[in-house]
Amino acid sequence: MKLLITTLALFGVLATAILASQTVYAQGALSEAHVERIRQNCVSAQTTLLRIHTNDTLLRVNRGQLYELISTKLMAPLNSRIALGRFEGLQLAATTIDYDRQREIFTADYLQYDDAMTRAIKINCTERPSEFYETLQLARERRYKLHEDTKALTVLLESYKGEFESFAGKFDGGSQ
Amino acid sequence: MSEEELIAEAQSMTRWQQHKFMVLVGATILTALFLVGISLRLYTTSGAMQLDLSRPGYQSIRDQASSSSDFTGFSSTGEIDKKALDEFRSLYDEQLKEATAVESFGGDVMSDAALGIGQ
Repeated sequence: MKLLITTLALFGVLATAILASQTVYAQGALSEAHVERIRQNCVSAQTTLLRIHTNDTLLRVNRGQLYELISTKLMAPLNSRIALGRFEGLQLAATTIDYDRQREIFTADYLQYDDAMTRAIKINCTERPSEFYETLQLARERRYKLHEDTKALTVLLESYKGEFESFAGKFDGGSQ
Repeated sequence: MSEEELIAEAQSMTRWQQHKFMVLVGATILTALFLVGISLRLYTTSGAMQLDLSRPGYQSIRDQASSSSDFTGFSSTGEIDKKALDEFRSLYDEQLKEATAVESFGGDVMSDAALGIGQ
C-alpha cells in the first residue's frame, strides 16, 4: 500500500513537471501580445500566403520542367554520345547521376512544403493562432530547404559545365 | 409467346435470375467508384495534384507555365567533334542561364514583417 502511494505520488509530480514545462515552453515561444497580433492579422496573412503559394506552384512547374529538360535532352544525350564514341566521360555521367538525385530531393521537398503551406492557409487562424504560427514556421523551413535544393542544383549544373569544358578542351587538343 | 406464358416463365425463375441485370449494373457502378477512388488517391499522393495548374485558383498563372515541347535538345547519336561540342555548349549555356538567372524560393516574403504578424 505504501509502495502504491509512493508510486502514485511520483507519477503526480512527474505529470505536473511535464505540464508545467510545456506551459513555460508555450509562453516562451509566443508572447500573449504576439498571439493577439497574429489573431488580428492572420486572415490577411493567409491571403498573402495563398498568393505566394500560387506563384510558387508556377515556379515549381517551370523549374521542374527546366531541370528535367536539361537532364533528359542535354546531359543524357551527350553522355550517351560520349559513351558510344568510347571517350572518357565518367565524371560527366557521375555528375548527371548526382543531378538527377538532387532533382528527386527537390521534388520530394516541394511536396513537403506544399503540404505545410496548404495547412497554414486552411487553418482557422483566428481560433488557433499558435497552431497557425507553428505551421507557418514549418512552411518557412521547408521553403528554405527548397531554396537550398535549387542552389545545390545550380552548383551541379555549373559543375557539369566545367567538366564539359574540360572534356571539350582535351578533345580539341587531340588527347582523346 | 403469350403474356401468360411470359408471366409463368418469370415466376419460375430463381431470385438470382430475376435480379441479375440489376446486380450487374450495381457491380459496374461499384467497380467504377473503386477505380475512381484509386485514381484520386494516386493523383493526390503522387504529387500530380500539387502541380496541376488546371485546378481552380490557378487560372491567372496557367498561361505563364513554360512549354518545353519546342526544345529539341541535343541528339544522342552522331560523332563527337568540334561542331557537335559547340552545338551542345550553345544549347547548354542557354538553359544554364535560364536556370541560374533568378534565385528561386528565396527572399523574405514569408517573414513576420512581410505578413504583418510581427511582434
